[in-house]
Amino acid sequence: MPNIVVDHIAKNFGNLQAVKDVSFEVNPGEIFGLLGPNGAGKTTSIRIMLDIFKADSGTVSILGGPMTEDKKSRVGYLPEERGLYQEIPLERCLVYLATLKGLEESDARNRINEYLEKFDLAGSRRKKVKELSKGMQQKAQLINTLVHEPEVVIIDEPFSALDPVNTQMVKDLLKEERVRGTTIVMCTHQMHQVEELADRIALINKGETVLYGDLREIRRHFASDAVLIRALNPLPSSIPGVHEVRPHNSSTLLKFETGKTPQDILNTLINQGVILEHFEIAMPSLDEIFIQVVNNKDALE
Amino acid sequence: MNKTWLVFRNEFMTHVRKKSFIFGILSMPLFVALMALIGFVSVWLEYNPSPVGFIDPNQVIVNARQVPVEKKQLLQTVQAIHYQDEASAEQSLRDGSIQAYFLLSDNYLNSGEVTMVTNEKTGSNAESDFGDFLAYNLVKNQPPLLAERLLAGPNLIIRSLDGSREMASNDWLSMLLPILAGVLFVIAVNISGNYLLQAVVEEKENRTMEIIVTSISPGQLMAGKVLGNLLVGLTQLATWIFFAIIALNIIPSVFPMKFTPRIDPASMLLIAATFLPAFVMVAAAMGAVGATATEAREAQQITGWFTIPIVIPLWFTTAFMFNPNGALSVAMSLFPVTAPIALPLRAAFTTVPAWQIILSITLLCLLAAFALWLSGRIFHLGMLRYGKRVRLREAFTRSGK
Repeated sequence: MPNIVVDHIAKNFGNLQAVKDVSFEVNPGEIFGLLGPNGAGKTTSIRIMLDIFKADSGTVSILGGPMTEDKKSRVGYLPEERGLYQEIPLERCLVYLATLKGLEESDARNRINEYLEKFDLAGSRRKKVKELSKGMQQKAQLINTLVHEPEVVIIDEPFSALDPVNTQMVKDLLKEERVRGTTIVMCTHQMHQVEELADRIALINKGETVLYGDLREIRRHFASDAVLIRALNPLPSSIPGVHEVRPHNSSTLLKFETGKTPQDILNTLINQGVILEHFEIAMPSLDEIFIQVVNNKDALE
Repeated sequence: MNKTWLVFRNEFMTHVRKKSFIFGILSMPLFVALMALIGFVSVWLEYNPSPVGFIDPNQVIVNARQVPVEKKQLLQTVQAIHYQDEASAEQSLRDGSIQAYFLLSDNYLNSGEVTMVTNEKTGSNAESDFGDFLAYNLVKNQPPLLAERLLAGPNLIIRSLDGSREMASNDWLSMLLPILAGVLFVIAVNISGNYLLQAVVEEKENRTMEIIVTSISPGQLMAGKVLGNLLVGLTQLATWIFFAIIALNIIPSVFPMKFTPRIDPASMLLIAATFLPAFVMVAAAMGAVGATATEAREAQQITGWFTIPIVIPLWFTTAFMFNPNGALSVAMSLFPVTAPIALPLRAAFTTVPAWQIILSITLLCLLAAFALWLSGRIFHLGMLRYGKRVRLREAFTRSGK
């Protein structure tokens, strides 16, 4: 049974239609990517899921029904508009916010101290929040999102303002949470960041779900007839069945004719004496899929 | 643990730990103490402990005795020395052993006429202390109770026809109390209301709002904040009252007073019953302003408007004194915004009918509850609007969030 069911929600702010028709489901123990460009309606959809806004139409079910005060303690949320109380010490700030999520104070203090150690923030626990760097504050906010061991975690733009080391740390942490069985919704416009993490995705554009499903299946579906290769010797001037050859980063992209398969191309290359170091089916990136979907939709309209 | 309690505790602890709060809470008694010290120093500079002399040609005062002093006083009573004739008194005045001498006239007992002779201005207390000396010696042979009564003078008690209320002429504190309490209330409500307002605006400014509202309902949040700030204000008031009680106990031992200040429990109860809902009302309104405003500076400019209606009754103190049952006084004591100060002030000068007290406090409580509800609602509408205000009309009309 899905932990989150968003069913045809819509929301207007005056004349602005922020969300037109968004639907998706998120299962327990999966990382779900809610993707789309800036202004697509992702944050509004999240706020509707969390009962910050009421939908004009459509329904949201979270942990088996509408959002309630009790369920707030079972959800962890890291909003895009981030902030902590600036004038109080870090530990006190986190303990207070954790107790608002239903933790006993002593329990909250213990868990927060563990997280502070893990996130290399233990030395700053008595510092005022405003004295911490932006990256440290980001990590503190992540602690606040996870400390009460929520069943559902919703993170809006999880990697903004993080350096590569901390980005990787957050990715690892989210993977750990997934193993623990947590339902994770990641909402971002940085689609490439989600490619290695998300199990399933929903792509939103102009307030509508334009693509929804298993990430691998989607990419396979949108895969063009092409392979990426790296060869140790020069390629022959003509490869039967291949109509386009062009460099792609450190590899070479071979586009083959309709009716051919990657296996046919592999056989052809071996027969032509090409020594292969690398061979892979060229999968489109999420950015490329998104552009393709939006262009097709615009063309249809 | 109850989340309202958590917000309440956090709000209270955050404010009372601030240096500005500690400075604010101590500055008032320190200021009053400084004023008292300056007052004392100015009295002391005017004070001259040298004795005075007196000549009593008709032997009005027999076996003169100094006025007994019960407690040790900072400023000693000026002693009076008897001289047989004016020449010897004049000699003492010249050599500086007395600061002045008093000559009782021949018909002193009929006219009360006394002539003071001095070379320079006498100390501020010389005349009054000699007056006390004369009065004491004139009645000292009377039975002690009679003498004491004569020296203390009358205490006029005014009682209402139905006997429900009376006021003694030396009970000035009962009249002063509502005014003093009103001023303190306005200061306290302003300070803690400002804390609340800043706290709400701060949550918008530092973007903790979304985390908070996904942890707790806006109603619980506002209730915790308002009550937390109510306690901050009450702590402030209680500290000031504590210092005032200390001062009232110290002052009579330093400066002799002919009466003991008495605080009527009924008027204290009335003050508490009006101030508490009024405080909730103002605090909730300030919280709502905080939720609608986009930045702290803007919000602070608006807060003055909340305290002006509350202090209006103080401008009409004379109207309450001379016509406490007039239309203006009655209207102000019933109108919830002016009632917090007007009702106790009016009660100091007249017997306020019970139904008016009940009506006034009920209206205050209702308005306080309404203000809390409205502020929760405005807070809900305005919490995620950065840089855009909530119009009051929206709070009543919009059903969604």
